[in-house]
Formats: sequence, C-alpha cells, structure tokens
Amino acid sequence: MRAGRVAGGTGIVLLGALAVVAAVGPWLLGTDGRERVARPYAPPSAEHWLGADDLGRDLFAQLVIGARGSLGIALLVAVAATTVAALVGGLAGLVPPWASALVMRSVDLILALPFLPLLILAAAFLGPSLGVRAVVVAALLWAGPARLVRAGVLAAWSRGHLQAARAMGASAWYLLWRHASPVVAPLLVPVFVRAAMTAIVLDASLAFLGLGDPTLPSWGTMIHWASVRGAMLTDAWLWWALPPGLAIVATVTALALVGVATEDRLNPTLRQAR
Amino acid sequence: MTTTSRPARTRTGLGRAALGRAGGYLAVLAVALTITFLLPRALPGGPLRTIGGADVGDLDPAARAQVVAAYGLDRPLHVQFGHYLADLVRLDFGTSFTGGRPVVQAIADALPWTLLLVGTSLLLTATIGVLLGVVAGLRRRHGRGNLLLAGVLLLDAAPAFWVGMLCILFFGVHLGALPTFGASTPGHTGLAAVGDLAAHLVLPVGVLVATGIGQFFLVTRFSVASALHAPHVEHAHARGVPYRRVVTRHLLRPALLPVHTQLMMELGWLVGGALVVETVFAYPGLGRLTFDAIQGRDYPMMQGTFLTLVVTVLAMNALADLTYPLLDPRIRARSRS
Amino acid sequence: MLTVTDLTVVYPTGQPAARGVDLTVAAGEIVALAGETGSGKSTVAKALLGLLPAGSTVTGSARLDDVELVDRTGRDWYGIRGSRIGIVPQGAMTGLNPVRRVGDQLVEIVRLHTGASRPAAIARTVDLLGRVRLPAATAHAYPHQLSGGQRQRVAIALALAGEPRLVVADEPTTGLDLVTQNHLLDLLVDLRTRSQVGMLIISHDLPALRGVADRIAVMYAGTLVESGPATGAAHHPYTRGLLAATPSLRRDVAWTSIPGTAPARAELTPGCSFAARCPWTSGTCHTDRPSPVALGPAVVTCHQPSADRPLLFPTVAVPPAPAVPPAQGRQPASPDPGAGHGGTRSPEADHGGPRAGSGAPVAVLTGVGHVYRSRHRRTTALAGVDLRLSPGTILGVVGESGSGKSTLGQILLGLLRPTTGRVEVAGTDLSPLRGRRLRAVRHRLGFVAQDPYTTLHPAMPVADLVAEPLRIAGVPARLHPDRVRRALHLAGAPADLLDSRPDQLSGGQRQRVAIARALVGEPVLLIADEATSMLDVSTRAGIASTLRHLADTIGLAVLFITHDLGEAVQACDRIVVLHEGVPVQQGPPRDVIDRPRPGYPADLVAAAHRHLGPDPVG
Repeated sequence: MRAGRVAGGTGIVLLGALAVVAAVGPWLLGTDGRERVARPYAPPSAEHWLGADDLGRDLFAQLVIGARGSLGIALLVAVAATTVAALVGGLAGLVPPWASALVMRSVDLILALPFLPLLILAAAFLGPSLGVRAVVVAALLWAGPARLVRAGVLAAWSRGHLQAARAMGASAWYLLWRHASPVVAPLLVPVFVRAAMTAIVLDASLAFLGLGDPTLPSWGTMIHWASVRGAMLTDAWLWWALPPGLAIVATVTALALVGVATEDRLNPTLRQAR
Repeated sequence: MTTTSRPARTRTGLGRAALGRAGGYLAVLAVALTITFLLPRALPGGPLRTIGGADVGDLDPAARAQVVAAYGLDRPLHVQFGHYLADLVRLDFGTSFTGGRPVVQAIADALPWTLLLVGTSLLLTATIGVLLGVVAGLRRRHGRGNLLLAGVLLLDAAPAFWVGMLCILFFGVHLGALPTFGASTPGHTGLAAVGDLAAHLVLPVGVLVATGIGQFFLVTRFSVASALHAPHVEHAHARGVPYRRVVTRHLLRPALLPVHTQLMMELGWLVGGALVVETVFAYPGLGRLTFDAIQGRDYPMMQGTFLTLVVTVLAMNALADLTYPLLDPRIRARSRS
Repeated sequence: MLTVTDLTVVYPTGQPAARGVDLTVAAGEIVALAGETGSGKSTVAKALLGLLPAGSTVTGSARLDDVELVDRTGRDWYGIRGSRIGIVPQGAMTGLNPVRRVGDQLVEIVRLHTGASRPAAIARTVDLLGRVRLPAATAHAYPHQLSGGQRQRVAIALALAGEPRLVVADEPTTGLDLVTQNHLLDLLVDLRTRSQVGMLIISHDLPALRGVADRIAVMYAGTLVESGPATGAAHHPYTRGLLAATPSLRRDVAWTSIPGTAPARAELTPGCSFAARCPWTSGTCHTDRPSPVALGPAVVTCHQPSADRPLLFPTVAVPPAPAVPPAQGRQPASPDPGAGHGGTRSPEADHGGPRAGSGAPVAVLTGVGHVYRSRHRRTTALAGVDLRLSPGTILGVVGESGSGKSTLGQILLGLLRPTTGRVEVAGTDLSPLRGRRLRAVRHRLGFVAQDPYTTLHPAMPVADLVAEPLRIAGVPARLHPDRVRRALHLAGAPADLLDSRPDQLSGGQRQRVAIARALVGEPVLLIADEATSMLDVSTRAGIASTLRHLADTIGLAVLFITHDLGEAVQACDRIVVLHEGVPVQQGPPRDVIDRPRPGYPADLVAAAHRHLGPDPVG
C-alpha cells in the first residue's frame, strides 16, 4: 500500500515538474534552439549550460523545448487514443453484436501490425509534422486500450446493480452513465498513461531514425544528431546525448510509476491480498 | 458433463479455429498491402517521385507523361492495384534507388540477420522477464520485489537506441571488450566464426532484452500475484502440498498463460526495437536497410522492408497461436464447441 | 479420535470468531457442524488444519489421537495436513487445478502423502476414483470436462488420497442440485462405513445433515449452542428455530423465521449471544453467559432449554396456518387453494387459487419458448410455457439451475425476446414493443434478483437505491421521499435505513431494500428470482411472509422463482415445475407434492423428502 502510494506520488511530482518546464521553460530561454548562438561543438559553459551542437545551437535550449514536444505528443496521443478507446469500448454492450465483432476484428488487425515500421513508412511518405505523427500514433494506439475498456464495460454489464437497473426499465444511456462509467472510468487512467509512454518512446525512436520534425527541437532528434555527428566519439556525448536520453527515461518512468500505482489499486484481488 | 475428449473432434475444432486465424492473418496482410499501395499515391506530388526517384519530379510535362504511362500510373486505381499485387506475387518489390539492385535481393540478404537477432532476443526476453516477474509476484509484499519492479520500470522507460549508444561507449570504446559494429568479422572459419557471430550478437541482444523485459515482467508479476489466492492454490496448500511444489505445480502454469498472449503482443514491439538497435550497432538486418532507405529517401526499399516485417510478425504470431492450445486444455475444449 | 477442547480463535483484526468450542469425532463417526454465515463453523475447520489467516491466535486444544493441532506453524503441518486430516475445502468444485488432468492431481497427492512409487500411485488413483464411484477414465479428464458433482467427488478422492484418519468437509454439497447433493451425502456415509474414517461435515444445511450425521453440533455467533445425536430432539431455541425455518413439504408444518440478524462475529456480550433474537428470554439471559448443560446424550448451552415449549417465532401466512401477521384488508382464505379440484382441470384453465378471481390477469404467457443460439449450437432454454398471473396470487416456478426458470423472468421483463409464443403484461402484448415503449412496461413490473450483495450499488444510500426506479421512470423528484418511505414500509424495512449504505446492512435487510425498490413504482407484478437463496436460512421465511402480505393487502401478483421445492410449497398458491425448459407439472402445491407426475417431478419430490430428512421435532 505505502510503496504504491510513494511510487504514484513520485510519478506525479516528476510529471508536474516536467509539465512546468515544458510550459514555462521556453519563455525563459534567450533562444529558440534553432539559431546559431555559439561556436559549433562548444563544451558546456556558464552561458550555454550544455554547450552547443555541430551548428552552434544551444543544447540546453533544445532540451527544454524538447520537453514541450515530447509531452505535447504524449498528451495529444493519449487523449485521442483514450477517447477513441473509451467510445469504442464503451459502446460494446450497446451496439449490435455484428458491429461489436467488426470493431474487435479491426482491433486484432491493428495489434498484429508492427507499429514502428508502419510509423516509419507513414512519416517517410506523409512528412514528419507533429500532426501527422500524432494522428498515426493515435490511430495505432487506440486498439489495445479499446479491448481493455471493452472487457471492463462487459464486466460492468454483468454486475448485479446494472442488471437490476436494466430490469427497472433504464435506458442504455442511463446504464452506461450511472452504472457502467463509474466502474470503467478508473480503468482509463492506466490506459492513458500507457498510451502516453508508448507515444513518447515511439516518437523518439522515429526522430532518432532521422524522421523527426526538422523545424522543432526534440529529445529524439538531439540524440539522432549526436549519433550522426560523431558526438559519441568524443566527450560531447556527456552533454549532447546523455541529457535528452535521461529526460526520456525520467518522463516515461514518471508515467510508469503513476500507471503501476493505479493498476495495483484497481485490482481487488491484490488489494485483498495485502 | 462428460469425461470424453476424443482427439478426432479436437482436431476438427482446432482446424476450424486455425482457419479462422488464417483469415485474420490474410486480412492483416491485405491492410498492409493497401497501406503500402496507397501511401505513395496520397503524396502531394503523386506517386511519381517515389517510383522514379527525386529527379523525375523535375521533368518537363511531355517526358513526365511518358514516365507516367510507362509505370501505368494513368490507369484506374484498381488496375494499378492489380499490377502491384501481381508484381509482389512475383516477389518483385522494385529496384532500390541507391545502388540499383532489386529490393528483394537486399531483403533476402538482410532478413536472416534480423531473424537471428529478434529470435534470440525474444527467447531471452521472455525467459528473463518471466523469471523476474515470478520472483516479484511471489514477493509482492516484500521490499525486494518492489526494488526489482523499480529497476525494471527504469529499464523499460529507456529508449533502446539510447541505451545502445551508451553500451557502445562503455563496452566498445572504454572496455574494448565486445564488437560494436556489424554482425561478423570477415576471415573467421568454423567455431571461431560462430564465436564471432555470438560476440556480435551480445550487445544488440542485450539492449533489446534489457529494454524489452518490462512488459513480460509486469504481466507475469500481476498474474502471479493475482493467482496467489486462487482457490486451486489455496486448496493445494490445504491438502498438504509443500509451498515450493504449490508454486511450481499449481500456481505457475495457469498464471503464466497470459504471458503467452503477451508474447504475441511483444513481437511487433521487438521488431520495432530491432529496427533502431540494428541502426545503432550497424547490424546488417532489415533495420539497417530501413535506416539507409530513410536517409536516401529510397521508397521502394522502405515498402519492401515494411511488408517483410509484417509477414515476419504474422508468421511468428501464427506459431504462437498454434502452440497456445497445447498449454491450456480449456482452449482446446472451447475451440471444439 | 479428534478431541477439541475450549477452542478459541481470534482473527488478526482482534475479533473473536470462535469461543470455547468443545467437539469430538470418533473413528467411523460423522459429525455435522452446522450454523449460518458468521457462526464460526468454518473458522473451527480452518483452525483444525492451520489454514487461518496469518496473525490469528488460537487457544485451547485440538488433539487428533496423540497429536496436538493447535500452535503448529508452517512446516509443522507436514505429515498432518492431507495425510492425517484430509480436507474437502469450501468451493472444492471450483478449486481443482484447471490445467492438469484429474489423474495427475490425484497421483501427486497420493505420492506426497504415502511415498508410493508412480505405478503404485496410479493404481491407488484408480482405486480412489472407484471409491468415490467415478469411472477410471475420469483420470484422463481435465476439471472443466466434469460436472459439479463429479468434480466434488474428485475433491473427496483427493481428501482420501493420504489415507487420513479424519476428513473435514467444508460445505461439500453447496451449489449442487438436490439429487446430486443426496448422492454425495450417500457417498460420504458409505465411505465412512467402509473405511472407518471420521468425518466432520461443515454445513449451513442442518436438516439435510440430520439424515446423514451421527451427531450434530450447532454453532451460533462463535459458540457451540447445542450438540447431540442427530436423531434426538433439539433443545436450544436457535436449533429449533433453524429447523423450523427450513420449509417443509407439508403445508401444515409451519415455516418460521427467526427475527433479527445474527451478529457477524462472536461479539463479547455479557449474556447469551442469542438473547437478542430469542423468544424465551428472561433476565439472566441478558446478564449471564449460559454454560453447557447435559440433557441426556445432548449438551445444550442455554439457560432454559426445552424440546417442547412453543417457539413463538413468526411464521409464513400460509392460508390454513394459524399464525398470521396483522394485515388489513385480508380477504378470507379458503382452507387450501385448489384442494378440491387439483389435478382435474387442464393446467391452463387452472390458474391460481380463489383470490385469483379479483381482477384480470396481469400477465399471460402463451406457448412461450426460447432458444439460445451460438455459432455451433442451439440450446432450448424454454419450451411451451403457458402461464397466467393474477392479482393477489403467488405463482411458484421451481427448477434446478439450467431449468430455464430465470429465462422465464427475463422474458416477462422483456429483457429477452421469446423465440416463440406470446407474452402479455398488463394487457399489452410485448412482441411489437421496442425501445422506450418496451422499457415503459418494465416500470410497471418489480424485479428482485438473487444476490442482494451485488444488485445494490455499493456507493448509493438506501434512499437513492429505492428511488432509482422512480428516477428512471421520470417521476418528479418531489414525490420520491413519500413513495420511498411507503415502499420501505411495505417491504418490512425500518425507515431509519434511509441514509445507510448497502455494506452497513445485513443480507436480509438488503433484500428488503431490494423488495422496496421493486415496489416503489407500484407494480402490478413482482418477479422474485431466487430472492431468498443467498440469505441465511433463519431469515428466508421472513421474506416469503412479506411477499404473502403484499399479495393479500395490495393484491400484488408475484412470480416466485426458486430451486427449493419446500419454499415454493410454503410460499405459493400454485407451482410450476420446470425441467430442461419444459413445464412438467403445474398445479396447487399439495397436488405437486402428493401426486407428482412420473419422471422429473416424482424424482424431485422424492429427493426433497429425502433431503429434508425426518420431520423436525418441535
């Protein structure tokens, strides 16, 4: 119990800090991370805390602005995927069986596709803008959660109090709103968290492969250039490749902590076992 | 009601289920094909650029029309799709922009390396992830279990390519202990060659395993912890079965069934991870091929590798599907009815 | 052989669950330990096997031959659990390892406790299966391929695998149909006779055990209130109340309930723990704890035990029964509805007793059938059901699980559309209705489901729970409080429950809230689907009595769905027996009991007679 609470608390504090950096940070910087402000390959200094990249752009500024990109796509994708999953899963008990079966077959179908290769293909053909990436990632990520939500909704439908309300002549919307949604809503927290985590890692991988948005600094793109421009062969990896990687790890871990904490709280078997 | 479970009926049931699954796989393949067919045609400049290379875009109208006709791009979409499929059936994925060799040949050279990498990683990921998950699940209330959880979450959060880069730095550059580039060193024969292959696998596989065990670990831990108080487990205790035996014989097998499902889910991810890890370690597989194709805007190559990856994942999924009923007698019964 | 002396168990929460229990089981003897939920009977069983939750404290002594069972931990239980004491755990049917063959599970336990070689253990397994009367081929089956009764036999075989001196069976027949229950109890008697093993059977079903056990011990609120020979007379008011609370197949034997509810745990009251519900209390009952008194072969823990003093518990108002709860507007009842003409009329014309004439039927089912279709199978759930429900009458639908009785309720509510036949509720044909208009019909029906622990939303207070049908039907909110209060009153629930949440209520109270909720919309028909089966025996008659009162006072028609023939006999004006979806007999209770049709009805009545054992004394 306490370990779970500590984990969840740590995760939330960390996420909050990152969100503040992403929201306010770029305003406090003197540069937008895209212009040349220092000597190329400059080591860290009082002026440029993490030095500069091969084009003389400030790396610390890129790191701060990257937080905005990573959290932004995480939020966008997680909101979209969770909404679609909630809608599709939530309708499980309401729509005719054939429609439900159709949706589930498409879920299976999407889950059988290898995500990253598909994402690469889409980004290569359609261009790497934030919108395209978010839409494609969300289009792939709703499927797993939809299956989860559906299972939750179906379990809720079999609950006694819902069946009782049904026998009283309650409409489907009443049942869904008053009886099913309070049961299913907590499920959406881990769903949201997982989607956000996956979006961050997928997006960073894409950027690392050179398919990031060239107009916007991001953590994945920083690592990409660090790798391509040979930062790993000198001490530059310390301030060029390490910080964005650590930033990704910190963000995803924070999300994971929140997710694990809520998942453990949701499982009644585990709660009893304590 | 009855104790009968005659193999003959089981087989027809399984056959039907397998047929249904095969239909599912075909559907996935159809979707993948449609995507690769439509994506170039959804481009603002039309598909021309992706077929003939960047320079075709700058042609004058007459020459351009000639190219369009030559590639059949003036025909209706469904006709184009038919041609496209016919080419694929003949294993004609087109010609690479860079180097001009047939895409299929490049893929044939790269695929075995990816299979080796992914196969080894999957095996190790599942084994280690499950073992750690069992330990953490059984010790859920103890500090050690939580410590393990924290460690795995941290690794799971790290992007594979970044961990790979750090590994190169540490094991390759600083320690000089392991090869960090490619899949083999030319000049070795016999056992030395095998050892050389293995040495080249260590880092890429290590990175894939380290960053991939998270899901196996979490699913196993959850499943084991939930099964601790399942009736059949408590009853085994009550019948005097010693703790160790309760765990190995009664708790684990039913609890590990969800892990098998996880295996299938994980395949797609592992293949994705392999793409970036191959890039980091310059491993000559499909990932490396994809990366080079991205750098050179080599569209036919991208499509080819993508389709190959889809088929690979589907084939491995099918394998997992076929083995599942061997583990769970209840599924055997269900597919019978 | 087993001697339990002054056994006291305190759970880690500090709550005592059993206090000062004395019990013996001799070799070859069957002792039944009976009691209701929370009486501590399972706690005693768990204490004997060291299966209590970690942190529980056990004091007193429990000796099996020369071995002390109390104060053992962990490894100390090796060589005892499973080998000296075999257990048939509660819910054993669902507790077999789902992915291992039955034979492998048996071989494992045999080898574990006897150290036999594998071939020898396999031979023993075949022998064990024979002893529980299962074919040897069962060894090759997985648990899901067996019926509940077969799985329970496997569980018994597992308990016998270590050749124990004592077998503890925790609720071994719960969840099985009557015929299977009888077979299992026969099997236990037979095993005892042949192998001289001692048995301790834990059960809530006191009457069933009287026909099986040699001696019976009854627990209440953590203490043993009475123990004695199974066939002897009961002396403790609780034991007698429990026996009288089991519905007899004879309508002239009163069906009573014990008012109030049992404390959830062994509360440390200064006096007798049963005093609050006892009809005989005097001053000492509230101040002094009674000590065990020997009355012939029986031992009774009561200040004033008696085998013949009238019980004075409330009884269900079956028409000829003398004790009737006060009710205004009660119409004069004929001695026995349908007594004069039972069996002579056609089932369709013969709907209901004399009070049925007081209005048009509220529901008519004609030739109703339902077939479930799945991809590869068609299952007939109902076929050829003709029913007519009239105001003021209670129609019983009796059948085992899977007989289609719940399907019938669902069809009446319009939740399931029958595949054949016609359903008319309150003069409206349901078949053309869809959506809103179909739901509107449900507003005129009341439904009480089986499980009051799940049907009431755990987060809603009683006032909201009862008002829910009004909210759904769109009744203006200002009318709710009055109607909720009236419904609670009709359902026999105290009005001060209004602000409570379900987890603060006992099972019986919850079910009364569920009934109030079914009544609040002023329905013409109440459908009670196994509404008593999750409740403690001692409170079931109270629910039935409330339904009877409603039928009599407000002319409610009730469809009373139950698996318990005795309940149907006591509570209903007419009975329909369903078997595999087909109504195999229909008529007044006395007809069904006295002249059951050959086939299933006859088997059911015989099994019920057999199950109830000798008529209760007292």
